[in-house]
Amino acid sequence: MVLPLHRVNVLTGIKSAKVLEDPAEYAGWIRRAKRPLLVLGPKLAEISLNGKSLLEYALEIAKAANIPTCATAHIKGKMAELGATPDCQYDLVEIANRLNDPEWQGVRKEGNHDLVILFGMRTDMGNQALSNLKHFAPHLKTMTLCKYVYPHADYSLPNFRKDEQWKGFLENLITSLKEEK
Amino acid sequence: MAKVVETKETKKRQEVNRIIRAEDQWEPIGATPMPEITDLRNWDMRLLKTYKPWYAPFCDLCCFCTYGKCDLTECRRGACGIDISGQQGRIILLACCMGMSAHGGHARHIIDYLIEKYGEDLKIDLGDSVAVEAPHIRTVLGLKPETLADLRTAIEYVERELVHLISSLHTGQEGSYMDYESKALHASMLDHVAMEAADIAQIVGFKFPTSVADTPLVDAGLASLDATKPIVLVVGHNPASSTNIIDYLRENDLYDKVEIGGICCTALETTRYSDRAKIVGPLSRQLYYVRTGMADVIMTDEQCIRTDIAEEAKKVGSALIATSDKACYGLEDASERDVDEIVKEMVEEGKQFLILDHEKAGEVAVKVALKLAPKRKKELISEAEAQELAKACRECEMCERVCPNLFSIGHGIRQVAEGNFEPIREIFSQCIGCGKCEEECPRNVPIFKIMQVAASKDTFKVRAGRGPIMDTEIRNVGAPIVLGTIPGVIAFVGCSNYPDIDDVAEMVEEFARRKYIVVLTGCAAMVAGMKKDENGLTVYEKYPPSFDAGGVVNVGSCVSNAHITGAAMKIANIFATLPLRGNYEVIADYILNRVGAVGVAWGAMSQKAASIGTGCNRVGIPVVLGPHSSKYRRLYLSKKGEDDWTVMDGRKAELVDTGEPSPEHLAYVTESKEKAMVLIAKLCIRKNDTPQGRAVKLNHYISLYKKYMGGGLPEDLDLYVRTDKDLPIVYKREAMAYLKEVGWKPKPVLSLPTLIGTYPSKVSLEAVIH
Repeated sequence: MVLPLHRVNVLTGIKSAKVLEDPAEYAGWIRRAKRPLLVLGPKLAEISLNGKSLLEYALEIAKAANIPTCATAHIKGKMAELGATPDCQYDLVEIANRLNDPEWQGVRKEGNHDLVILFGMRTDMGNQALSNLKHFAPHLKTMTLCKYVYPHADYSLPNFRKDEQWKGFLENLITSLKEEK
Repeated sequence: MAKVVETKETKKRQEVNRIIRAEDQWEPIGATPMPEITDLRNWDMRLLKTYKPWYAPFCDLCCFCTYGKCDLTECRRGACGIDISGQQGRIILLACCMGMSAHGGHARHIIDYLIEKYGEDLKIDLGDSVAVEAPHIRTVLGLKPETLADLRTAIEYVERELVHLISSLHTGQEGSYMDYESKALHASMLDHVAMEAADIAQIVGFKFPTSVADTPLVDAGLASLDATKPIVLVVGHNPASSTNIIDYLRENDLYDKVEIGGICCTALETTRYSDRAKIVGPLSRQLYYVRTGMADVIMTDEQCIRTDIAEEAKKVGSALIATSDKACYGLEDASERDVDEIVKEMVEEGKQFLILDHEKAGEVAVKVALKLAPKRKKELISEAEAQELAKACRECEMCERVCPNLFSIGHGIRQVAEGNFEPIREIFSQCIGCGKCEEECPRNVPIFKIMQVAASKDTFKVRAGRGPIMDTEIRNVGAPIVLGTIPGVIAFVGCSNYPDIDDVAEMVEEFARRKYIVVLTGCAAMVAGMKKDENGLTVYEKYPPSFDAGGVVNVGSCVSNAHITGAAMKIANIFATLPLRGNYEVIADYILNRVGAVGVAWGAMSQKAASIGTGCNRVGIPVVLGPHSSKYRRLYLSKKGEDDWTVMDGRKAELVDTGEPSPEHLAYVTESKEKAMVLIAKLCIRKNDTPQGRAVKLNHYISLYKKYMGGGLPEDLDLYVRTDKDLPIVYKREAMAYLKEVGWKPKPVLSLPTLIGTYPSKVSLEAVIH
């Protein structure tokens, strides 16, 4: 079991995330999903990598793989500044509440999502939402794109020591998703 | 068989009638005087049908018994049969019982203490403007308390219920998460009874302010204490000892010579007793302040105190006196010993003592402070010293790993080493004061000491807690609140695990400016006053202290929270003339459907906060929590657009599917203050709003949405518009275009919406008509 960066998120249990750092493998899981959903958190507007905000990376990922987006907290306002509009607005606990209903028809009314990607939350709150999904939404897989280990996810990135590693991962993920189009 | 049951019920009811003096005809007795665990279960199940428990397990295992550990993932059950939902409900019930018992223990202690001092017949008199003195005790028990002995009766009832509630947590008892939740709601309703009993006792016993709005403005902030004088720091919640310090100072003409400051709710209680005492800060500043060594004597009472405070005090040479049987810290009990002997050993040998005699503890604290202070050096470090200490940091990130607020402390420390103090100031405003960073640091960097250069040297003004909302105020605002023209009552309460300590003051400002009624208690009440605007004013100086539109009201400490929920009950009673007595379901139903009140516990940390919030939920008040509170692992969420929003139109006795999710959730966590503010405005919407009132509420909802969510209209606006008269004029054209786009259709406006009649209940529909 890989330890999360923030000790508050140390798993007390048995079922833990598979930690991956190969962008091609990540892209493969995203591509295999029939109805993925990208959930965007407020931290995306607070962090930038070499002058490019995480939100821009997130929007590129959504575009590259045609993934609908869900804006949590107040990130919708930040998206508007970039000329983007989310496909739906739910707070993190609200979208988890929807997702754990297998009958929910999802953001595009095509059926519930089978892969949910979290990006840009506080790690403690994100991990709690993932715990909810782990226990009560067995019909879907979860994934994170933050530079920390999320034990309650199905697929998580490792704790990247350097932002360059994270940046490289995100850029290669976008490239992989575009290539697989 | 039926007859036997009837006989038992009759005897039980006779006993209840005896306790609540049923022969006193002040109000008719409702359906549930002194309810037992299952008496309000149907109300709970009705609430939980719409607001379903949402669980985020913090732990996947159960380790409560020796069958375990049991893994509860993937639909597994524990060896006892419990599943993951049941286990979460069980933990929530445990938390609520802990919270309720903390207030219950406080109440029991203070009532017994005051009965010992003044006798059990001491009258409850809350002044000319508070006739409905105890809405919770009236509503839940059916008792109109007249003396301290009656408050003891209320606590005895709470204690009796607590045994049954705790019992249900045992292995092989309750098995349904819904029933655990119902029991948590029961425990938490009782928490408000306990808080109310405690605070009424304090008000009458210590002569705290009552029947007054304009209480004094008291000094607050880390720098408010004059370090050139002996300083006694009181920490905790129970004022029995701190008031004795003040008595001793007054009686011996020493008040000019000794400073008294408080951390956490004892600070609020002490400043209700004397406006010369100071509020040092909230719980999150406890360890920081203790480690500055400014306090010559630290006196602890109960709740939310660092459990290692005796060790921390010793490290910096502060004397320590523990005064509560709930927190003895392994110290020698000196309650029966001679004062001068105790003082001598504390001053000369550095001994720490447990003193359960509050009068003696007060005298010892002052005498030790006077003798110790001249021997101690009390100075904060300079920026140059901080810079030197910070150079040891290698930014290894171990501090960040253990930080419960998840921020990069090491970066701030390294910046101090470079001579840049701005990042550490920002970090200090986000610090929740646990000290884990310093403990983890492999190079032993004294992070808290370095933070001395970051802490504000400013002093602030916080209005002293005023206790109950006055009946006269309720008469004035009852109608505008229920009709919606005062857009809501927002209560900022609870602990100080904030994402940022400035958040509360900023949210208070936003809603006071918009003419909501803002009420505060506990740590939230302190930090709201610890931020100044560009004119150097705090929210307590800018806004009136009245319970009215645009007022900012410090109600008091943790136990004063009962006065906030009590104010909502008083609206039902005084404005709507509904009887309170043993009439919980009717009152809760009234509040849920008509009183636009919202609790905000932005830094909730403790089990007490869990029970306070859950108690709000049972009485129909939604609660918004900050991100840390996702670790409470349970929320009450609805699914707007899908859930059943049918209510009874009380006047027509007809079921109406309103489709209106008001209030949308009962317990909710959000990540940012911006989103919280939008949500708070929305949660004030109630089905009873008049078109004029709804337009006022929607005006704020839309306006806040535009301000913080990047423009546009809320995507769920159509759910809250019944007719075009509900639309605020300023947004009418834009909103009508949106409503047309989404296919909105007009909906009925109800004059008496109620859940009574939509679920099995002993309460008849006639009971809600007033």
